[in-house]
Amino acid sequence: MGLKGHAAIVGSAQYKPEKYATAPRMFHLEQVADLAAQALRDAGLQASDIDGLVINGPQFHEASVFVPAMAAEYLGLRLNFAEVVDLGGCTSVGMVWRAAAAIELGLCQAVLCVLPARMAPMGPDEDASWMARAMRFGGHSTAFGAPEAEFDLPYGHMGQNTGYAMIAQRYAAQYGYDPRAMAKIAVDQRTNAQYNPDAMFYGQPLTIEQVLASKKVADPLHVLEIVMPVAGGAAMIIASKEVAARARKRPSWITGFGEHLAFKSPSYAQDMLQTPIGPASRRAFEMAGIKPADVDAAQIYDCYTITALLTLEDAGFCAKGEGMSFVREHDLTWRGDFPMNTHGGQLSFGQAGSAGGMSQVIEAVTQIAGEAGERQLKQCDTVYVSGTGGVMSEQGALILQGA
Amino acid sequence: MSNNKPMPVPTEISAPFWEGLKAERLLIQQCNECSHWVFYPRRHCPACLTHSLAWREVSGGATLYSFTVTRIATLPDFADEMPQMLAVVELDQGVRMNTNLVGLDESEVKIGMRLQPVYAEIDGKGNRLLRFTGVDKDADALKALRAVEQPAQEQVATVRQIALDDEAALQALVSEEFSPWSNQVVVDQALIDTFAQLSGDDYWIHTDPERARKQSPFGGTIAHGALVQILQSRMKLNLGYEITGFSNMINYGSDRLRFPAPVPAGSTIHARARVKRVERVKSGTQLTLELNTHVLGSERPSVINELVILYM
Repeated sequence: MGLKGHAAIVGSAQYKPEKYATAPRMFHLEQVADLAAQALRDAGLQASDIDGLVINGPQFHEASVFVPAMAAEYLGLRLNFAEVVDLGGCTSVGMVWRAAAAIELGLCQAVLCVLPARMAPMGPDEDASWMARAMRFGGHSTAFGAPEAEFDLPYGHMGQNTGYAMIAQRYAAQYGYDPRAMAKIAVDQRTNAQYNPDAMFYGQPLTIEQVLASKKVADPLHVLEIVMPVAGGAAMIIASKEVAARARKRPSWITGFGEHLAFKSPSYAQDMLQTPIGPASRRAFEMAGIKPADVDAAQIYDCYTITALLTLEDAGFCAKGEGMSFVREHDLTWRGDFPMNTHGGQLSFGQAGSAGGMSQVIEAVTQIAGEAGERQLKQCDTVYVSGTGGVMSEQGALILQGA
Repeated sequence: MSNNKPMPVPTEISAPFWEGLKAERLLIQQCNECSHWVFYPRRHCPACLTHSLAWREVSGGATLYSFTVTRIATLPDFADEMPQMLAVVELDQGVRMNTNLVGLDESEVKIGMRLQPVYAEIDGKGNRLLRFTGVDKDADALKALRAVEQPAQEQVATVRQIALDDEAALQALVSEEFSPWSNQVVVDQALIDTFAQLSGDDYWIHTDPERARKQSPFGGTIAHGALVQILQSRMKLNLGYEITGFSNMINYGSDRLRFPAPVPAGSTIHARARVKRVERVKSGTQLTLELNTHVLGSERPSVINELVILYM
């Protein structure tokens, strides 16, 4: 069952994360075309090679339905495969395996996966308040009949912070909690960001004390354990063996994936601490025929430090309940014995909406291709990548390998 | 409490649950086929997908599954509940629900503790939310809408008298520290409407709750900044001093006036102040008071007013 590893990521592009207020405003269609051109250049391929498209539906500015057809028309693409992925922060990981599956099925030869995440220019009849309105409930639906509108919002349960905080509190009650170990996740990643000029926090090293002294948002989470939303956007080209052979750089073959979701609010999980990344990762490793110990690096979705911690455990890098000691005992920087989020992670790189998760996939591809510059790992042939949407509700894992 | 808070809108499916709460009874669903307990309300059983569910009354006995205490309100409208105690509780039937803990000190809250329901009033119309408290608490006493609390003022603050010509004592008033909080004032829609009439500023964002709910970034109406500013007159400040020996004291205006945060209709506000500056000017002595008004529980001021008082 699963992929044969006959499709690879051969090129990528990513806007440097910027503050929303000062980032350029571009239509999403315009961003898609721009990112596609950059990713094709990176891959050394032509626009005419593209015959598949995977794109976001939610949050696409110029349309909420018929997005792939509109984008194909705007870019001048002829597609044999088109797909919309709606998995929040897990969208990028979900895009990669869908593209690879379509290629292995023989539907298409090169797929553009793209997530525009800069704001669009404001129309003459629009005002800035729509964004504040859209953000007011932080991704919680307010539609009549939506269970969360009826049973969460009146109690003040909304957004992501408090959901992740409650997961961390439950973890603390069950396994114990070391705030310094949690802070170290953010600090090691910040160290990595000092070797990535594109990172939002490049040039701003961080200490454990600074994390612990930062403002608490919801117990036990400090503000420096939470990602900063930024403007950005990213794209990747996934290609067949034949097309990859013409590509410019070392391809990252997609040899394993898994995806799992069962709830939106973790309150309704069977066990809040057994996260969906467990089954997703087990399937990914099994498909690739490797074990967690075989990876050269892990690019772990890190909207919060607790997300990274639970992923380390549930993906099998350490035993359940031993995440804190794993973090204490390992150097998670690119120079360390467990290189993790070598680009800085989203905590230090910045989170460009659902494109934030693509930063992790792109870092894996960059390391495998040997193009990571100062932070390049000596050996990097096998990388684990995770994606997380909602409040640990929709999760996916990828195994990427250089040939 | 702010009336811009999101309120439950019952559906045909969920109505029995909310009707039950009104009557201070907890009704949840159970599957007639497989006996699975169901929450939140549905048409079908999520264990076997059959459409045969019965409403049953349960005691509300529960265990705390997890919780968090917020240090920043999840929505400005919840500032009056700060710190919010958000919780997931597991009813004895095994279903979990997102809710709040009430009547508990932070130090008393432990995951795994036993809880009992609090049928908490949320408006004057008999609507209730299902909150929880410890089993050793008086749940009935926690049901009522929270009254506006007034800080105990009986310990009459010692007021130092400072003569206007005592330069050293005047300069010593300058401080980074704010005074204690004033009494609290409720800014309700009626007050906002009166001010709209008086000032002529009847912009819909202040006066049209229906339109504001749909279109305003704040999810409901907000008070005029100027209204909140002048309500400072209703808030008694305990500054701890009284200046004597002047013939006239005038409000000379403001060096700085900012409205950094909205005051949603229905909010409770209070104020505090500090002496920022004391200067001798040609016409007398100028004292600058930084007078900040906050929505109860909110760290961010709704009004920053650097008020200049001229003593002559």
